[in-house]
Amino acid sequence: MERLNARLEIPEVEPGTLGACPVAPDALVDIKRQQTNPARWRGRGWKEFSDAVRALGVEMSETISARGAYATDAGGTAYGLPHGVVIARSAEQIAGLLKAAQAHRVPVTVRGGGLTTEGESVAFGGVLLDMTGMSRVISIDPAALSVRTQAGIFWHSLAEELRREGLDYLSAPLNLTSSVGGTLGVGGIDVNSPRLGCSADQALALQVVTPTGDIVECSDTQNPELFARVILGYGQFGVITEATLKVRPYTPLRMHYYYYSSLRTAIEDLQLIDRNDASDYSGILTILDCAVNLLVAFDSPEREAAFKAGWESRLRGHGEFGFGLRMLGRYALRPWKLGEAWLLLQRKRELFPELQRSEYMRDGLMLDRTVVFSRAVWNFWGGRQMVIPDLATSAAKFADAVERGNAVCRKYFPHYTLYCVGIRLRKDHREHYEMSCIPPDAEEWAYGCEFEPMTNGRTYSRDHLQSFKNAIYDIGVDVGASYYRFGGMMKGYIRRVFGDALVDRHLAMKKKADPAMILNRDVIF
Amino acid sequence: MRTVDVIIVGASLSAAAAAKRLVDAGLETIVLERKELPRHKICSGILSPRGHRFLLENFGPLPREALHEPTSCRGVTFHFPSMVSLSMDFFGGTTPHLHRKYSDYWAIKRSGAEVHDQTSFAGLEDNGDHVLVHARSKGEPIEYRARTVIGADGPSSLVTRAIYPDYPQQIPWFFVGQKFHDIIECPLDEDYFHFWFHPGLGHYTWSHARDGRQIVGVGFKRGDNFAKKHANVVNYLGEKHGVRLKEHTDDEGCAENFGPSLINRYVFGKGNVLITGQAAGFLNMIGEGMSCALHSGAICGEAVVESRVTNRPVREMYRRMIASEVRRTTDQWNPWKIAFDKPHEADFPAALMALGWRDRAKVLRDMWRFVVLYKEFNWGRQIFREMLQRPMIGGYSAQRWM
Repeated sequence: MERLNARLEIPEVEPGTLGACPVAPDALVDIKRQQTNPARWRGRGWKEFSDAVRALGVEMSETISARGAYATDAGGTAYGLPHGVVIARSAEQIAGLLKAAQAHRVPVTVRGGGLTTEGESVAFGGVLLDMTGMSRVISIDPAALSVRTQAGIFWHSLAEELRREGLDYLSAPLNLTSSVGGTLGVGGIDVNSPRLGCSADQALALQVVTPTGDIVECSDTQNPELFARVILGYGQFGVITEATLKVRPYTPLRMHYYYYSSLRTAIEDLQLIDRNDASDYSGILTILDCAVNLLVAFDSPEREAAFKAGWESRLRGHGEFGFGLRMLGRYALRPWKLGEAWLLLQRKRELFPELQRSEYMRDGLMLDRTVVFSRAVWNFWGGRQMVIPDLATSAAKFADAVERGNAVCRKYFPHYTLYCVGIRLRKDHREHYEMSCIPPDAEEWAYGCEFEPMTNGRTYSRDHLQSFKNAIYDIGVDVGASYYRFGGMMKGYIRRVFGDALVDRHLAMKKKADPAMILNRDVIF
Repeated sequence: MRTVDVIIVGASLSAAAAAKRLVDAGLETIVLERKELPRHKICSGILSPRGHRFLLENFGPLPREALHEPTSCRGVTFHFPSMVSLSMDFFGGTTPHLHRKYSDYWAIKRSGAEVHDQTSFAGLEDNGDHVLVHARSKGEPIEYRARTVIGADGPSSLVTRAIYPDYPQQIPWFFVGQKFHDIIECPLDEDYFHFWFHPGLGHYTWSHARDGRQIVGVGFKRGDNFAKKHANVVNYLGEKHGVRLKEHTDDEGCAENFGPSLINRYVFGKGNVLITGQAAGFLNMIGEGMSCALHSGAICGEAVVESRVTNRPVREMYRRMIASEVRRTTDQWNPWKIAFDKPHEADFPAALMALGWRDRAKVLRDMWRFVVLYKEFNWGRQIFREMLQRPMIGGYSAQRWM
């Protein structure tokens, strides 16, 4: 019996390595043999570790109520409990924690706003480091247009502080409660990304605590290798504790909406606008796949006037009234689709006033796009669980990828939304983009599409949601795309899209930087 | 008396999947198993690729000890009385040939749950806010108190009987038995699972290779004679397929609740007691119950976690979440889906269309004659009704579930 137990006692698979599968070489074609729902860390050496951490003066909570608060993330499909929770207070505290964790081989999972969707910020045992304890703005330099902030701050808090100085961040995700550090580690897109790039590209310099507990300042000129790895690095190469970000003068927005009945046409027009720098903000948000909204916005009346004079007539979308007439015609010929028409009318009645609430509008200008869109997104698109698989492709492949993804959505859910946006790439940051959400074949712009089911209070099994995500991600493998959310439970796709050579190279760098593989170890390797 | 969050009865794959979800979420979970682990389990062991993927993603790569020889199965071969044979490869590549004794033991250990083996379930009392579970551990009575109980104890589920005492009388029961033969000569391709659509042989007739021997199995309505049925199949294989086997060296059999998946009559429990896996009635079309047991077990565990998070009744949550697995499984028996969709993990319509039109007609005729064998169970109208309902409500009605 003991011998049998020993044979069946599988040693813990070292993160990043793939266990052998004795079934057959061609079993599970195209699926990398990887445990994507991690086994719980068994707690070996926990007592010694917690004693060592407490001896350093680090406060760590081990109560079930404290740990239970971190049992899942915004995705709500991965569950795990840490052995202990540490609220981040300073870079020195984190350095001490990581040194002890490295010595005792205790996994550390870092969490900002917890807005991951695949369990990347869920701790399957070990320590959960909650970065929201470090949420102060350190200094604002209006002359140099930069801000130094602690990385656990949420973007909306940062916006509030910047607004007092008449400033604004460049771009941030449409989530009120995503943290600066988490966003810089993953990417972040906004409707101004076609001009200003992904949110991570606005970082000028970072203070990072490395997995071995060193506090290091890095930027394009200082420790550039570390900077390149930490930006868009999925938290593998260090904990971002402070960030210097580029900012800009604050301007309210002038919004315009155009409506399309064809996804492809809307995407072509979006790309036309981006290529010609015709607007300051652009993106696509669908209500149905036959009711596609292209939004454009401007920082100044001059830019708006130039768009109206030079580009508006070239767009194939319609205004609200014109599109309403087309829809009337459409449903008059298709009376069996009246349910769809009813949904459109309902959305118009509920959603449109939400985008123009008086507290956020003044003289027809939108005062805070993040608040307006975040409210709308969470109220009208998000469910209790965030289920948002995505595809990021080069401009040429984008329309095909979105159309295929749209077909998958239609198969799995009655209603869903697509959110498409361009991402301006920086030539000098190509190294940052390696093994990230930016597809390797993208030049100048990458395009991202999020596929978001509207669950309308319905409860779906994790298997249903997972199958949906797999079906979307399989398109990515097929067309050669990348993903924004390839970590956590979707990490099985990393080797499929990037290939073994690249992943192994990053794994070797990770092992060198983090010998005990303790930092965010279940995220991508 | 031990007080825990969840008691799972049975230590099979569905139990392991449920336990994994519960333990991950930090719920204290105890698994009760009647036998001493690792325990023998009657099963063909041919897991579908979907089930393989689930095991891999949730428990890691399979150890060699959890597999029989041959370690994998390439697909399914259907044989018809007109001597037409159709071989179909699984979409996802070859799939494991599980040694259930060790694979189940491995999975339940990997789930991280506390396992009490040699502890048999004896009854329960659902008191609204908790359930008292009566059991016997090595002959001694023992009690547990849990907020939720999950019955994952197979087709003849004692947990199901505890909450629906007359359930066994409501459904037809089958017996499936398999005998192990040393091989003299066997032309059947050992890379495939072989199935016979032959009304003269039985309701479910199969054969495949395992550890140097050939399994010959037959399923039939309970009450018939296993030895006679089996001998009939062995003779048929000898005459028609040139299979020469020695006298069997081992045999085994068990009762099967074949039917709930066909007519959407699943049992998901009541109150704080949930039923999952084959106990709930999940069975794929080739009689493979493991992949839907894994997925339904996981959904059961997720439902318990969700009900805690959302403070909703666990039964309601489970019935909402299990709808996707019901669709997947019952679609496999839905004639419309079989003809125009791909509900299975191998492409039967494509294999059929690859035949000449004469053979195609023979196959369809033979299949019809085989289906007629099931006429006495009056499932036809129910299947037809479910088939019509499927596109209208986008699934199968939860009203028919127990």
